[in-house]
Amino acid sequence: MTRTVGDATYVGTRTLRVEDLRLLTGTGTYVDDVIRPGMLHACFVRSPMARARILGIDVSEASQLDGVHAVFVAQDLNPGVREQWYTLNGPDDPDTPRPPLAEGEVRFVGDPVAMVVADDRYIAEDAAELVVVDYDPLPPVVDYATALDSTESVHADRPGNLVGQLGGRPMADLEPVFENAPHVVSQTVYQQSHGPVPMETRGIVAEWAAAGGEMTIWAATQSPHEVRSFCARLLGIAEHRVRVVMRDTGGGFGQKVLPQREDMCVMLAATKLPAALKWIEDRQEHLLAAGQARHEHGEARMAFDDDGRILAATLDHVQDAGAYPTPSPVQSGVAVGMLFPGPYRIPEGTFSSRFVFSNTSGRVAYRGPWQYESMARETLLDTAARQLCLDPVELRRRNMLSRDELPTANFNGMPYDHISPRETFEQALKMLDYEAFRREQARAREQGRYLGVGTCTYVEPTAGATPFHATEGATIRIEPSGKVNVYVAGGSCGNSLETTVVQLTADALGAAIEDVSTVQGDTAVTPYGAGTGGSRSGPMTAGAIARTAGELRERILAIAAHKLEVPAEEVEFIRGRATSKRSGGAGLTLAEIADIAYYQVHALPPGVPAGLEASGRYHTPHLMIWANATHVCTCEVDVVTGEVTLLRYIVSEDCGPMINPSVVEGQIFGGTVQGIGGALYEHLAYDEDGNPVSTTFMDYLLPTATEVPVIEVGHVETPSPGPGGYKGVGEGGAIGSAPAVVNAVADALAPFGVRISRLPLTPSSIVGLLEEARARQAVTR
Amino acid sequence: MKPAPFTYHAPAGGDEAVGLLAELGEEAKAIAGGQSLVPMLALRLAAFGHLVDLRRLDELRGIERRGDGTVWIGAGTTQATVQRSDEVRAAVPLLARATPLIGHFQIRSRGTVGGSLAHADSAAEYPAVALTLDAELEALSPRGRRTIPAERFLTGMWSTALAEDELLTGVNFPVWKGRCGFAVEEFARRSGDFAIAGATVALRVDGDGRLDRCAIGLFGLGATAIRARGTEAALIGSDPAEADAEEIVRSATEGLDSVPSDLHGSAPYRTRVGAAMVTRAWRRAVQEALHG
Repeated sequence: MTRTVGDATYVGTRTLRVEDLRLLTGTGTYVDDVIRPGMLHACFVRSPMARARILGIDVSEASQLDGVHAVFVAQDLNPGVREQWYTLNGPDDPDTPRPPLAEGEVRFVGDPVAMVVADDRYIAEDAAELVVVDYDPLPPVVDYATALDSTESVHADRPGNLVGQLGGRPMADLEPVFENAPHVVSQTVYQQSHGPVPMETRGIVAEWAAAGGEMTIWAATQSPHEVRSFCARLLGIAEHRVRVVMRDTGGGFGQKVLPQREDMCVMLAATKLPAALKWIEDRQEHLLAAGQARHEHGEARMAFDDDGRILAATLDHVQDAGAYPTPSPVQSGVAVGMLFPGPYRIPEGTFSSRFVFSNTSGRVAYRGPWQYESMARETLLDTAARQLCLDPVELRRRNMLSRDELPTANFNGMPYDHISPRETFEQALKMLDYEAFRREQARAREQGRYLGVGTCTYVEPTAGATPFHATEGATIRIEPSGKVNVYVAGGSCGNSLETTVVQLTADALGAAIEDVSTVQGDTAVTPYGAGTGGSRSGPMTAGAIARTAGELRERILAIAAHKLEVPAEEVEFIRGRATSKRSGGAGLTLAEIADIAYYQVHALPPGVPAGLEASGRYHTPHLMIWANATHVCTCEVDVVTGEVTLLRYIVSEDCGPMINPSVVEGQIFGGTVQGIGGALYEHLAYDEDGNPVSTTFMDYLLPTATEVPVIEVGHVETPSPGPGGYKGVGEGGAIGSAPAVVNAVADALAPFGVRISRLPLTPSSIVGLLEEARARQAVTR
Repeated sequence: MKPAPFTYHAPAGGDEAVGLLAELGEEAKAIAGGQSLVPMLALRLAAFGHLVDLRRLDELRGIERRGDGTVWIGAGTTQATVQRSDEVRAAVPLLARATPLIGHFQIRSRGTVGGSLAHADSAAEYPAVALTLDAELEALSPRGRRTIPAERFLTGMWSTALAEDELLTGVNFPVWKGRCGFAVEEFARRSGDFAIAGATVALRVDGDGRLDRCAIGLFGLGATAIRARGTEAALIGSDPAEADAEEIVRSATEGLDSVPSDLHGSAPYRTRVGAAMVTRAWRRAVQEALHG
C-alpha cells in the first residue's frame, strides 16, 4: 500500500484546519467547559513536605464548612481500587506503586493526601485549608543521582531506590576497543527536570449513574479509550458501562496519555457521590504534581581512529523516576540506550540504563521521551570534534549513514530503513550557508562578539507496533444526504487530527472535502484506539481510513456504474461526483448515490448491500516507521551577562510525503520551541530539602515569541513502507532542538575552553562556565 | 487558584477610600490594577477580608504639566497611558523609556503607576525611576495630604512609608532642563520578566560640558531600589567624556550587601549583571547629554 485509494486532491495541500473556527474564536469545549446538573467540585490537600510519616489527619473542621459534601482520605478511597494497570504495560509488568491518596507516608511536595468535595471550587479550597495533617518529617531522597547510595528509601519495599535497570552487552566487552583506540572522548551531561506544561492543565469530570451502573467521564486526555479501560479495571465494572468523552484538549505532550493518581481519586469518589464530580488542576498544582520529565544524565563515550571514524560508543545512563512515575519508566526509558547510536556508522557499543526513585514529582512521558539519546550523542560529537581539531560538520560527514548503506541496524539491533540523515544534514547546512556562517563567526570574534552554530541529527521511531498501539480503526458513515462522517478514536490535543482525518477521508473516498466531517474522542461511538502518542496518528489513521474508505468507494463505484450503465472501472469519482466518458455529460453526485443506497434499494446492483457505512481496522506489520531530521541553530552569547540570543533556527526533516505541510510544520515549530525551552529556560527545580522552587510561570520559564527566532523548515521526502508512505512527525521537533542549541552555545564559547556539563544554560550558569574555564586555564598556565 | 473569601468595596472618592482603609484596618487592602495583588490572592499567599477597589477614583488618574517644573501623574494612571503620553516622553524621558520594560502590554494595560510604586518590588522599574529623578509622592489619609520624597518612601522589600490607612494619590516627577542624558538598562531572563538587575542614569552637563547634576539608580540589587550617591557626588564637576566607566561601575556597585539570590541568579551574578547595566546606561546617558 503506497497511496491511499483514490486521487490525492486534498492530501499534500495546506488545507485550512477544520478545528480552527471553534478553537480560535474561544468556543472549543475543554473539560472545564463541561457543566453537569448539581455538579460538585474537588480540591486536593497536598503534602508540603518532600517526605514525612502521616501521623493523623483531622477533617472535622473542613467537613463542617457550609457547602462541603465530603472529605476523603486514603482509607476512604484506596480500598475501592480493584485493579490498576496501563494497557501499554499489561497486568504482569513489574509496576511502580500508585495509591490514589497517600497512605501512611507522603513522598513528594504535592503528594495528594486528602480530597475535599464541595459545591464549588472556592469552598473546596477554603475547606482544604481547614484539613489538619500531622506530619512527622523524614529525611527525603531529593537527588536521584545519589539516591542509589542513599540509606533512605523513597518506598520502603524498594531499598536502594532502584526502579529497574536494563542494558546491552557488558561494558567490559568494549574495554579492549577503548584501550587500543587512538582517541577516546567522554563526557557527562546532566539534564534538568522539565514539565510538559500543556496550556490546559489536567482535569476530569466523572458522573456515576448508580441505577444503571454506568460511568461517564469527560477528560483532558490524549487517549479516551485508555481512560475507559483504566476506569473499568479500577472500579471493577464492565468496559462497555464506561463512556469517556473528550472534545478539545489543550495540549498533552505525553503527560495526558495515561490517567494519574488524581484521576483515580475522582473516579473512585464519583461512585460515592450523588452528582458529577469535577476536578480542574490549577497551574500551581500542575507544576507541583503533574509530573516531570527529561531528568537524567549519562556518561557517554566514543572511541575514534586517527581519521575521526567512530570505533565504538557506550552510554551509562541514569534517569530520575520521581516518587510515583506514570507508568513505570523502565519500558520507555530503555529507548534512550537503544537509540543512542543515532544515524551514525558505529561498529559496536553498548549501554546501561538505571531508573531511580526520588522524593520528587513522578516521571511522565514527554514528547520524545528518549530525547536524551540525542543530547548525549550530539553534544559528545561536538566535544570530540573540538578535541580532535576537526570541524564538527566534517566529523559527522565521516560517520553519518548514507542511503546506500540501508537497510542496516545499529549496534543495539534497531533496524533502520527508509531514512535520509545525510540528506537532511546537507539540506539544513545549505539553508544556513554553513561556510558563510563560519566566516561571519570569525569576523565577530575579532570584534569580541561570540557567535556559535550547533547541529543535531537524529533518527526516530514513529508509529511503533506495541500491542497497545499496533491497530487503529475507522468507521465511515455516508449519510443519506451524501454527507460523510468519519469516526476515529481521536485524542487530539491540538495535533490537527480532525483536519488530517478529513483530508485523508475525502481523498480515499473521492468525496468533496466540504462534505466530510469527523467525530472523535467519544468512546460510545468511535472505534477503539490508543489515542495520540508515539507519533502514530498520521500513519495509523491513514491505514484505518484507507481500509474503510476503500470498501465504501467500491460500493460507490458499483452503484454509479449500475445507474450510468457503464462498467465500474470506467467510472471516475472525484470531489463527490461520478462520471464516465461513455455516458456523455451524465453523472451522479454522492448525494444521489447515497439516496439510492438508502431509499432506492431495489435499484442497487446485485450483491451491493443497502446503506453506505463501513468499519475497518488497520494493523501495522511494521515494528516501527523511522523518521529523521537535522536541526541547525546559530546564536550569539553575551559573555558579560551570559545571555543567549538565538539568531537562526533551521530544521530539515523527512516525514515522508506530507498529508498537510502546515500541520507538519506546526508540529515541528511546537516541538522545537519546547526543546529551546529545555536548553535555555525551563527548570522544574527543587531545593536541597525537596521543596519545588518553580511553582508558577514566574519561575518556570517558558520561551515566548520574543525568545524564539523564525524557524525555517526544509523537507526531504523518503516514503515509509507504511500507509501512504507517511511517517510520524509529532515528537521529533522536541528531540532535535535542545542538543542543537546546547551545541551552538558550546561552539560560541569554544574560544574560552568552556565545558558544558549541566543544563539548562541559564545566563548565570553560562557566566559560571566562563569563570570555571578561566580558573582552569589560570591553573594550566 | 481561587482566592479566599473577601468583601469588595468600590468607594467613589479618595476620602471615602481612606476612610474605609482606616475603618477596616489591617484586614483591608487597596486594589488598583491588581497585577501583583491578584496573583498573590489567587495563590493564597495573601488573604484580606476586604478589598478596596480604586477604579472609581477619577481623581487618581491623569498626567499634568505643573507650573512648579514637575509633571504630575495620578497614581491610578495605567502604565499603558504613560507609555502613550507625549507629555511624559518629552518632559520625563527616563520614565517613558522605563515603561515598556514593565511586564507585557496586557500587564501595562491594567497595572498603574501608583500600584507599582506602592508594591515596591526592588526589581521594579518605577521605584528606581522615582528615586533617580527625586520624585515626590503624594499621599492621602484621614489625617490629610502629605508629600513624601521617593528616597523616604521606599523603606524595604515590598514596604513603603505609607500608613495602613494612607493612599498614594500621585507622583510629581521633576522636569530636568538643559543638556541632559537619560538611560535605563535592565537584564531579564525573558522580555517582560522582572529584572535580574537594572540601572538608571540621569545626568546634566553645564556650558563647559561638565556634570552639574548626576543620578545613578540600581534595581534588583537590594531590598529596594538604590542610589549610588557617593559615586554621583564624586562625578559632579567632571567631564563625563573623560570619566572612567569602570571606576564608576566599581564605585556604584561596591558595598552592595543585600543582593537577592534565587533560581535565576546568585548574588554575585546579579551584581555582575548590575555592573554591566550601569556601564551600558552610563554610556548611553553620556552619549545623549553630549551629542543629543
